[in-house]
Amino acid sequence: MALALAIVMATALFAGCSKGTKTENPTTTTPPATTVDPNKPVDGGTLTIGTFSDIVTVNPIMIDDTSSADVAGFLFAQLYDVSAKGEVIVSPWSIAKEPFAVSADKKSYTVKIRTDAKWSDGKPITADDVVFTYKTLSNEAVGSPGYSNYAQIADVKANGADTVVITLKDVDSRFEYSLTANIVPAASFKDVKPEDIGKSKFGTDRAATVTSGPYTWAEWTEKQYIRLKKDPNYWGQKPHIDEIVFKIYADQNTEVQALMKGEIDFLETVPVAQLEALKGVQGISIYEDAGPVYDYVAFNFLPDNWPNKFVPFAGAKTRQAINHALNRKGMVDSVLKGHGTLLNGPFLASGWAATPEATAKWEFDVAKAKKLLEEDGWKPGADGILVKDGHKFEFELMTNAGNKRRESYAAIIQQNLADVGIKVNIKTLDFSAMIPDNVTPGKYQALLLGWQLGLDPDAESIFSANYFPPAGQNSGWYKNEKTDKLWEQGYKVTSRAERKAVYADILKEFANDPPYVFLASQNLMTAYNQRVHWAKEDAPVQAIPYGYFYHILNWWVTK
Amino acid sequence: MSEYLIRRLLQSVLVLFLISLVSFGLIHAAPGGPATIYIKPNQSPEIAKVQLHNMGLDRPIHIQYWSWLSKMVQGDFGITFKAGRPVGDLVWPALKNTLILMTTAWVMQLLIAIPWGIYNSTRQYGLSDNTAAVVAYAGMSMPAFWFAILMQEFFSLKLDLLPLSNMYAINKQGQILDLIYHMVLPVTVLVIIGMAGYTRYARASMLEVLGQDYVRTARAKGVSENKVIFKHALRNALIPIVTILGLDLPGIVAGAALTETVFNWPGMGRLFVDMAYAREYSVIMAVTMIVAVFVIIGNLIADILYAVVDPRVRLSGKGATSA
Repeated sequence: MALALAIVMATALFAGCSKGTKTENPTTTTPPATTVDPNKPVDGGTLTIGTFSDIVTVNPIMIDDTSSADVAGFLFAQLYDVSAKGEVIVSPWSIAKEPFAVSADKKSYTVKIRTDAKWSDGKPITADDVVFTYKTLSNEAVGSPGYSNYAQIADVKANGADTVVITLKDVDSRFEYSLTANIVPAASFKDVKPEDIGKSKFGTDRAATVTSGPYTWAEWTEKQYIRLKKDPNYWGQKPHIDEIVFKIYADQNTEVQALMKGEIDFLETVPVAQLEALKGVQGISIYEDAGPVYDYVAFNFLPDNWPNKFVPFAGAKTRQAINHALNRKGMVDSVLKGHGTLLNGPFLASGWAATPEATAKWEFDVAKAKKLLEEDGWKPGADGILVKDGHKFEFELMTNAGNKRRESYAAIIQQNLADVGIKVNIKTLDFSAMIPDNVTPGKYQALLLGWQLGLDPDAESIFSANYFPPAGQNSGWYKNEKTDKLWEQGYKVTSRAERKAVYADILKEFANDPPYVFLASQNLMTAYNQRVHWAKEDAPVQAIPYGYFYHILNWWVTK
Repeated sequence: MSEYLIRRLLQSVLVLFLISLVSFGLIHAAPGGPATIYIKPNQSPEIAKVQLHNMGLDRPIHIQYWSWLSKMVQGDFGITFKAGRPVGDLVWPALKNTLILMTTAWVMQLLIAIPWGIYNSTRQYGLSDNTAAVVAYAGMSMPAFWFAILMQEFFSLKLDLLPLSNMYAINKQGQILDLIYHMVLPVTVLVIIGMAGYTRYARASMLEVLGQDYVRTARAKGVSENKVIFKHALRNALIPIVTILGLDLPGIVAGAALTETVFNWPGMGRLFVDMAYAREYSVIMAVTMIVAVFVIIGNLIADILYAVVDPRVRLSGKGATSA
């Protein structure tokens, strides 16, 4: 009987081991040649997208999660859209008719909208809808998750039916990105109190939701799928695909299996662990692009977090040394399997704010690290650990439990720093406990976490002394008067060239006085069935928010 | 008997009240909350305060509890924090879906496991008995989700015989045949895993009864083996099984969270896990209370059935006692 049991177990083991029976497909990024011209769009068909969770609401005012935002992007038109490089532009699907005009005092934005844009119930989209949207987003009582992007609004007015003027409290060039909001119909919220907007049926009840985008909300079977149908009365440039279906898979393994089976055509993000399984499957292509998330190690400068109030990171040379002591390229190669980009500053490599010449290089150089530590007053003790003024160089590195990538980074950091005489103790905590207990109040010694960047490169609330906890997100208590002034200048000047120069100065200062060790941004992989086609300029752009759907309205599907 | 029932009912109300108190306290004591799930750069803390206020979470905790309790006794489970959905809209469909899946799996596993276990007890160490033992040990040691994924890989991906997940195909909502087609894999997983325990209980219980003196007497008297098993031994062997059945009842309602996740079955288990992540307190409380009610009903049924099946047991005011 024991033998029978052993055989059963062994068979079960092997059942899981075998790869797909399909043949190896070495070229995974180009669509196959067909008898039909592959570059000519075809109208019609259904695109099935796999998603990991159901929508909460499609009301753009209250959206807080990716799934809801994904679907809402098809249903609601934006005032302005975003280009592949992250610039605010007028597209064939925007409500705005022409680029916005900025007043002489740089505080007012004038937007002219299309006169032919319509809601799904036939009524025209007017300036009143735009005014209502911006007033609601900037109303604190509503509690919109995106509030901080609209908090600088002083007043919003309509000038007739097709012109809107938004006035800010102060000059702020970051605001242009807030002009890309999804517009909601004022009529649907008539007589609704601001604090009740979050509880309104608009966004959860299909019958109560009026939309303006190229697709209408046709069906929603909870936790199973959402179906969108092309709107024949759509006022903008019509999309090729007739129907878009979001199919929900609670489990990532099942989602990947569904793609392999052909049940879904498009998978927004493939986890690195599943990449190998997908590479060999015939009919599936993978598109890789640099993503908007980067990981970092933050130093904490608050004496209260340290025994005897001694902050080992106080000296700039010490922090430079740590930057040189870490083998960050090794981390990208072994943890991300090469699917990542090294980062040396707080700006994405693909964005307009990055200036490579001004950025520190932080080469992996153990000898240089040791020399810098010595210059900063550290001497090795009897056990090999560095000592300064009687204090050992030992600290606790905190990160969130369950994140394999960060746990692997932490292990490498611990090893690299041990090689230069620094003792690192790793502590992992549950994310939702770590945020209120440690991150928000700035109670840690070193933190390994990540930021997801938006469109605007401004990071004042992360690095400025004006944003110490609990008001802001400078949880490391980093203080540098020079960069504090530069961050503010960064959004007080309005031309792109001027802003870029300011951020280059910040990069230079960070090279001397680093607040973090910047690690790397991960590449995001999109996997799709080869029946999905796009022109080169319409390919997904992972660095911008929801960029995996960039120009999806121009894509087409074949049989 | 009716005195016993009334006493139990009153006890149950008290127990439910205590459960709600403890659950409410624990949920609110856990760190984090519905507003802290997402942290982005430039998130202003004033907005977090406004959101907390709109959700009613900045009130003192006993006020929050009283507000929840007074609504619940009227049948109103409240609304979710995000998008203000009535909790009932989320919970009742999930309950129905879980009942469909779990009841089918439960009944099937009992129909297979108990007769098989009893049969095996009469032919110990035969081929059937050894097979059952292998299946039982395999079922008890395998993690459910791993087994589920394996089944998907084999029957859905490789053989393309069965659907991968969900309750219905997109265009076949509500069709019974399609539902059955989609239930095959999850029910198989649940039955194989669940059957393990019952086969062993049935076998062990029957063996113990068959070793009793009165069975020996019956055989000595010349009673046929069939009559010995079905007329004399079976009812006694079922006594411990009946107790376990009653205690298993809440499982039908709680659902199997991992299996439901892998097969994307929109049931109570998955709902609870999703809502726990999102810190939707009202839904968590609703699910907890529903499961608690079923636990109490299950225990009550187990106690009553115990008295029915075993004439030696008399239900006194304090509960079942053995003579």
